[in-house]
Amino acid sequence: MPVFETKSFGRIPYEEDAVLEFPSGLPGFDTRHRFVALDFRESEPLIFLQSLEDPCLCFITLPVLVVDPCYRLEVDAGDLARVGLAATRQPRIGEDVLCLAVVAVRETGPTANLLAPIVVNLANRKAVQAVAPESGYSHQQALVSEEAAVCS
Amino acid sequence: MLVMSRRKGETILIGDEIEIVIAHIGRSRVRVGIRAPRSMLVIAREVKLVRDENLAAAAAPSPLALSDLLARLQPEVRG
Repeated sequence: MPVFETKSFGRIPYEEDAVLEFPSGLPGFDTRHRFVALDFRESEPLIFLQSLEDPCLCFITLPVLVVDPCYRLEVDAGDLARVGLAATRQPRIGEDVLCLAVVAVRETGPTANLLAPIVVNLANRKAVQAVAPESGYSHQQALVSEEAAVCS
Repeated sequence: MLVMSRRKGETILIGDEIEIVIAHIGRSRVRVGIRAPRSMLVIAREVKLVRDENLAAAAAPSPLALSDLLARLQPEVRG
């Protein structure tokens, strides 16, 4: 099993077929294509996206449905094609895709980027950060600790 | 802000190096061709927002900030 030395987690063994592949990288990190998703019991429900090309690059993420249980995914045709999904319908979170919001931790409090969720095709582990300008979601959605609102 | 009317196929020049072509006009969106030096970053505004957000998110948070984040997410272990 390959092992990668990371800054945050030390040496992490990973399965090659667990690697998430971002064919176009992510905005700001266009040359970073390979990541693994790490989660730990003590930091649930966080999912850490650790780069396999840069030991220091690790995004903190949350499943979008943890941030907003009513989240409506809108992926454009180009991004669907990029991860090998049919453009005939929107993928279903949890069934077709894993959908993660990148969390930024600032002094003013943590925020999640719902404008551009990371969408992973569960069938082939290809991933894209899907910018959805017409979705109306914020790139800096405040994380609140109150019990999540009920979907209407 | 300078506002110009252009038809399909017409061009706008910005300085000597930047050329913007109206490639296609649809019902609710236009396709725009942009010719600019390679060194110049050309991205949609929302992609710039996401880029800046990613750069901020990639800066490792302090352990204190991280434990505060976890406290928000794990109500059962709070207090």
